[in-house]
Amino acid sequence: MLLVLLPGMIDLSVGSGVGMLGGLAAVLIVKPDFIWPGMPGWPPALALLATLLLAMAIWALMGALISRWRIPAFIITLGGLLIFKGLHWAIIHNATIPVAVGGQENIYSLLTTYYLPEWASYVLGGLVALGISVSRVRARRLRRAHGLPVDEAQTAFIGTFIGLQALLLLIVVLNLYKGVPLALVILGVVAWATQVITQHTSFGRYLYAIGGNEDAAVLSGINVNAVVICAYVALGAIVAVAGFMQTAYGGYSTTTVGNLMELDAIAACVIGGTSLKGGRGTVLGVLFGALIMATLLNGMTLLAVTPELKTIARGTVLVLAVWMDVWLSRRYGTGGGSR
Amino acid sequence: MTEPVPLLQVQNLSKHFAGVAALERVGFDLRAGEVHALCGENGAGKSTLIKVLSGVWPHGTYAGTVTLAGREVRFRSTAEAARAGIAAIHQELALVPDMTVAENIYLGAEPRTWGGTINWNKVYADTEGLLREYGIAVDSGARVGELGVGQQQLVEIVKALSKRSRILLLDEPTAALTDSDVETLLGIVQQLRSRGITCVYISHKLGEVFRVADRITVLRDGRSIVTVASAGSTRQDIIRHMVGREITDFFPRVRSAPGPVLMELSGVSVADPRSGRMVLRDVSCNIRAGEVLGIGGLMGAGRTELLLHLFGAFGRRVAGNVTLTGVPYQPHTPADAMARGVALVSEDRKRYGLVLDQSVGFNLSLASLRQVARAGLTGLDSAVAALSGGNQQKVVLGKTLLCAPGVVLLDEPTRGIDVGAKVEVYELVNRLTGAGKAVVLVSSEMPELLGMSDRIMMLSAGQVGGCFTHAEATPERLLTAAMAFHSGFPKDTPHEEKH
Repeated sequence: MLLVLLPGMIDLSVGSGVGMLGGLAAVLIVKPDFIWPGMPGWPPALALLATLLLAMAIWALMGALISRWRIPAFIITLGGLLIFKGLHWAIIHNATIPVAVGGQENIYSLLTTYYLPEWASYVLGGLVALGISVSRVRARRLRRAHGLPVDEAQTAFIGTFIGLQALLLLIVVLNLYKGVPLALVILGVVAWATQVITQHTSFGRYLYAIGGNEDAAVLSGINVNAVVICAYVALGAIVAVAGFMQTAYGGYSTTTVGNLMELDAIAACVIGGTSLKGGRGTVLGVLFGALIMATLLNGMTLLAVTPELKTIARGTVLVLAVWMDVWLSRRYGTGGGSR
Repeated sequence: MTEPVPLLQVQNLSKHFAGVAALERVGFDLRAGEVHALCGENGAGKSTLIKVLSGVWPHGTYAGTVTLAGREVRFRSTAEAARAGIAAIHQELALVPDMTVAENIYLGAEPRTWGGTINWNKVYADTEGLLREYGIAVDSGARVGELGVGQQQLVEIVKALSKRSRILLLDEPTAALTDSDVETLLGIVQQLRSRGITCVYISHKLGEVFRVADRITVLRDGRSIVTVASAGSTRQDIIRHMVGREITDFFPRVRSAPGPVLMELSGVSVADPRSGRMVLRDVSCNIRAGEVLGIGGLMGAGRTELLLHLFGAFGRRVAGNVTLTGVPYQPHTPADAMARGVALVSEDRKRYGLVLDQSVGFNLSLASLRQVARAGLTGLDSAVAALSGGNQQKVVLGKTLLCAPGVVLLDEPTRGIDVGAKVEVYELVNRLTGAGKAVVLVSSEMPELLGMSDRIMMLSAGQVGGCFTHAEATPERLLTAAMAFHSGFPKDTPHEEKH
């Protein structure tokens, strides 16, 4: 969601997309008859891959409609919300479709139930730690080579050391339970990739530039349409992955999977400091926002809050978050691009 | 003395917008390493010329030729012009406020590492290098939105220089700057010249122009009038060239004896609530029934701000007071203003949208206008849009005939509409004053101001630069009054006043 909020767009269709794509993958594996009578069940890996590619194509189309034909993102994705929801129900025939045949395990169901063995978690943790350390040392050397100031060696060392200790602690605690879940690894990879894209590639910076001042972006020679379409394609891929995980988490695709997730996603971004006008927001902020949202929802479930109250609370949080966004941007006078 | 070969030559350049000529067979040449000023009134075609040269208006949208170093160039985009070494700094700054100085400078041209990611170290190191090279005291890691306008302007210039531009086009770079920022900027321009970079410098401030320019070209009504060496010219020469046109009898103003004072302003000072900057200082005047008060001034003189303030749509009044038919008048929303019988016809659809969105109470006449505006927005900038713009004005003007006491604020009511529609608007103005309403007319077109006003007040940098009756007003006097308080115009030049 961050990827499209940065250039000042929005996507209301992700919740329905999550349900539809998760459902489609499940049907391809378990109930291929629903799509094409007589078609044999697809191998799980192929079904996931095909659904992922389809998602990217659909989101590319939405991005093109929004940027090239200048149809407001709000309308296109609101249409997407309804269309995807309808397609989702049609694909699963309003039934409950398990992600794997007859209680067996497959790559789909394992997405959220697989835990890394203890040795693997330590190897992975070690690799991540090594990667962080090497990249930090290299960054310091390069900065010095360019004549830019660097932190005290000691401060840098302590910062890195504390971060690595926290990582180790997390792995140890998780191993005491069941081990490091695969879902956490996927989250880490997606977050890391998004971080690199938004902060260290031209594409990512153009997202900020378009949201901050579209005229400036155009005058700097940026192809705004192409950048916006790419942002939607990337979002489509993320929606597909989220769809697989959300569906696998429940074990079944039902008509309610993904309900209202778009609003939670927007709320997570805004709580994390992303501006709805575009041009401002970070991955770390969004992770933080998502953590708050998830804690809130999970906490309410544990406290046995009624669904009515839960829905009202979600709405209140969303409104409060957007209100804060508006208030803050007025306060600090960031004139973002308006759309 | 032999004529140096021009670095850039423009011949027979014409550009039309919806049938209106913005540039008409303009000729212009630029010598390598000079600072060349473009002067002219609002709408003379200076910005259009800059936009053609920098590729904003691509080849094919204009007629005529542009020759760079002996070869004809046909830029299809700003990127092509930039590759040829021409960079423009437009009036609206093209910077992203949430990005840092260095990020803005290398936006669209980021250096990469072998992995394809941005080489941030090089971005910052190169920016520091450029800032040092030109002696600009700006932190490369500062957010652009936190910088002052003057520093942002410098960042724009450094951005252009980072592309190794040979020709820099500066469109009113000092319009929004404070005096000390202006000094820094002029210093940079002089430094650029000493490094062999050619600059085109647009400014209304003749004081600045004479300080930095080697040669001056005057544009008027889209035509190039004259190019002179600044050393052998005086301000009077330039002003005469800028306004030297005949006033035709195209204005059907019916003059009548003015009635009682409807609105009176005394010592009004208004601050922009967002920036806190004073936009109007100590403005006093009165507006009589059956009279047209013309308000003139250069871009940014505070004309529109004054109208919007009187309409309850802008600014915080920090001093002074306004009375309407003898009763204190301080509208907080446009609805207040409408209820007291004050109406506004705004300059353009875009700004109209802004006022519409921000005001709270809304009333019928404006709501119906909005529908007209929406219908007219289908084709961008086409003749249809221009015509329906004229229709818009007529709709609102007609409705304000009904309100009492009836002070009608017109902000550039004839901008972008054709001649026939203009005359219809002028006739409506006559009907308004004939019915005892007061009209305040803000216009950038000198002939319109002279032809339609009974009295003219010139604003200059937010202050009253001079007030004239219809009989007293001449183009030279008005222009001199408009420049009275603009910085860059040394105050100790008394010869400005005598004519």
